[in-house]
Amino acid sequence: MDSAKPAHPSPRQYVTIAGILVVLTALEVSLFYLNIGGINTPALIVLMLLKFTLVVAFYMHLRYESGFLRRLFAAGLAVASVLYFIVLATFYSRG
Amino acid sequence: MTAHTETSTGIDTRKLGMWAFLSSEALFFGALITNYLLFKGRDLQGIHPRELLNIPFTSVSSFVLLMSSLTMVLAHAALTRDNQRAARGWLLATAALGATFVGGQVYEFSNFYKEGMTLSTNPASSSFFVLTGFHGAHVTIGVLLLLSLVGLSFRRGGLTFEHGLNLELVGLYWHFVDIVWIVIFTVVYLIR
Repeated sequence: MDSAKPAHPSPRQYVTIAGILVVLTALEVSLFYLNIGGINTPALIVLMLLKFTLVVAFYMHLRYESGFLRRLFAAGLAVASVLYFIVLATFYSRG
Repeated sequence: MTAHTETSTGIDTRKLGMWAFLSSEALFFGALITNYLLFKGRDLQGIHPRELLNIPFTSVSSFVLLMSSLTMVLAHAALTRDNQRAARGWLLATAALGATFVGGQVYEFSNFYKEGMTLSTNPASSSFFVLTGFHGAHVTIGVLLLLSLVGLSFRRGGLTFEHGLNLELVGLYWHFVDIVWIVIFTVVYLIR
């Protein structure tokens, strides 16, 4: 491992992150049953993105990787999201 | 393989290759998720996945997979401290949690078949089985990779970061499988 890079999280921090992930998952499942109307889906998507970011940043160590890898991942994610959003929008707009 | 080559970016070639592979996998799963969203709620013939999904059961499966990501990083942390024995234990725990998740998926699929929802019932069921089935196949491959690492761990220095099939690369793959499930769980199971 490159000693110049910032240290990875400690085991205690990994467990804390896991606790946050479990709480977020519990919130997601609660939202499914509570079904709070129009903001239910956006809230679920926000929780999903939070969990996604936590795993990628801390468990996959992207937060501690070089800027090149971070940009590579962000660019790929952005291109894929735009591509599939266009596909879905096209099909839904045609009924 | 013990060669340790860095690219002009200063990034290990194997790690860069793994991230490039995971990016292609993101596009692959993105296509399958889009496919499911296109057919969800269309062609109302037969039973649809929405009618049969067991949210409590799948929530437990999601918890199991999340915990497997924790045990995976604890294996990585143990190896960073040169504690190969502890790393082996955490790897075994990760493999066991992964196998539990796959077992749950097999149980879920067999229930769906009993209820009459098969791969060919309607486009929604096809896209559901293809998406979740491919994810399950990825988890299964991950379990095999983890067990390979456990086998390597019995050799002195078998788990060092210099080896071709190393714990960090398998960890990246495993966490990727987890983030794909985070998306599937929300998009397929929770969003109505």
